[in-house]
Amino acid sequence: MGLKEKYHEYHRPILGMASVIGLILLWELTLTYLIPVDPFFFTKPSLIGTAFREQLFGERLWRDLAISSRAFIWGFSLSVIVGIPLGAVMGWRRRVEYTLDPLLTALYASPLVALAPLLIIFFGVGLLGKAVLVFLLAVFPFIFNTSAGVKSADPLLINVVRSFGGKELDLYLKVILPGTFPYIVAGTRLAIGRGLVGIIVGEFYAASEGIGFAIQNYGDTYRLPDMFVGIIVLSAIAVALTELLRKAELMVAPWRAGEEIR
Amino acid sequence: MVPCIQARDISLTFKPKNRDPVTALKELTLDVAKGEFVSLVGPSGCGKSTFLNVLLGLLKPDGGEIRLNGKQITGPGQERAMVFQEFGLLPWRTVLANVELGLELKGVQASVRRERAMELIKMAGLAGFASHYPHELSGGMKQRVGLARALVTDPEVLLMDEPFAALDAQTRDLMQLELLQIWDRTKKTVVFVTHSIEEAAYLSDRVIVISARPGRAKDVMKIALPRPRDYEMRLSAEFNDIKARIWASLKEELVTK
Ligand SMILES: Nc1ncnc2c1ncn2[C@@H]1O[C@H](COP(=O)(O)OP(=O)(O)OP(=O)(O)O)[C@@H](O)[C@H]1O
Ligand SMILES: [Mg+2]
Repeated sequence: MGLKEKYHEYHRPILGMASVIGLILLWELTLTYLIPVDPFFFTKPSLIGTAFREQLFGERLWRDLAISSRAFIWGFSLSVIVGIPLGAVMGWRRRVEYTLDPLLTALYASPLVALAPLLIIFFGVGLLGKAVLVFLLAVFPFIFNTSAGVKSADPLLINVVRSFGGKELDLYLKVILPGTFPYIVAGTRLAIGRGLVGIIVGEFYAASEGIGFAIQNYGDTYRLPDMFVGIIVLSAIAVALTELLRKAELMVAPWRAGEEIR
Repeated sequence: MVPCIQARDISLTFKPKNRDPVTALKELTLDVAKGEFVSLVGPSGCGKSTFLNVLLGLLKPDGGEIRLNGKQITGPGQERAMVFQEFGLLPWRTVLANVELGLELKGVQASVRRERAMELIKMAGLAGFASHYPHELSGGMKQRVGLARALVTDPEVLLMDEPFAALDAQTRDLMQLELLQIWDRTKKTVVFVTHSIEEAAYLSDRVIVISARPGRAKDVMKIALPRPRDYEMRLSAEFNDIKARIWASLKEELVTK
């Protein structure tokens, strides 16, 4: 296999890496040669790299990650468990939609992170408060996307299943639910981002551990390279989760492979 | 003639929200005999699909009576199956799972329905495609799946709503031949909707011309051509004669409205 074929096989990760590496180089070179900045106020990739290596072999990073993931997993799971069924009922039953839609839309559109201090007072600075915040941020994409997916169910397919003797439950399981799948995947993508914001914001307030606290703490003490390590670890997690979602999607839903247009 | 389907004065008016009501069918009366192949032709929008949906039990008429083997039709049933114009395959199911649908909804055991579905897949000429998804199939193959799916529960009545309209001419010719062979073997009652006079004349025992909306059965033409019919027969003078008669009746409905 020639170099060209190799490129074509892997051009997705290659192109993706290129932009990241490009940005890092630009950043490093600019700060080294063009505008020398006081490292007290800003930092560059080489210094972050050193800090990264230190943290990787330290204990604190891993402890922080474990703490944060627990809250994330609880809040996120709850938002799946509540959001998908609620969205399904909203999409299927007009009366439920009319009742809940204004309220939920208002909540979705409002900057819920503003409620963070209140939630922390209510539920405490520990696991519960953060999980609730993650839940509140992540649940809406699940609700609205599932509901949109249900509403877009193909009436032809509904008729097909009804004509073969399908009852309401069959319509749900054989047409509506599989049809919402792409909508739910898109919702999950949004929810991952919003959920991570929930963790960080939750830990900014009065927490004493967790990756959000670490970022805040390093920032307060002007340890910029360490702070950036936290930020980079976070975005790496976001990328990994999104990529995992893509893989899972193709595994669970092979019929979707044909729907990509490129 | 042993009547299989008896439709008496079927009327149906759609009343969409915020729109004027549309009377799709008005006092439509027709009979179909057991084992007969009947085609419905008529201008677009005259209510042919609506009538098939009434037959299938998905739509309830506002007036009139529709009976199957003497029993009033009140909803979908195992004795009837439809081949849909736009295929209506579930995109998330493989060919096999699509064909199995009717048996699955009937509660047939998995191993039994698999075997039966595989039989029909083979009969439909799709052996080797059982684990493909609909997006991997051509239009003709999709419609074969639609046909296999309709036949899997061995229904007595096969309803077909312009099943070959989306196919290219050669595939269409081939599918027509295959349909005739299946019909000959299984002795099913077929109600077939088409816009092609040629197709109607070639396949049917009788062709029923439906008037412009609101649809009524306007003319009934018996097609007295011998069976089995082959492609060459379509070139005969007699066949052209039949086509001309159907066209004459249909033309009036197209120009006046
Ligand atoms: N669900 C519906 N709501 C409102 N009007 C409808 C509905 N379905 C059909 N109609 C109307 O009823 C009339 C008959 O429709 P139908 O689909 O039965 O026509 P058709 O004879 O099958 O036409 P075509 O040959 O173009 O398929 C049309 O005027 C159509 O607009
Ligand atoms: Mg139609």
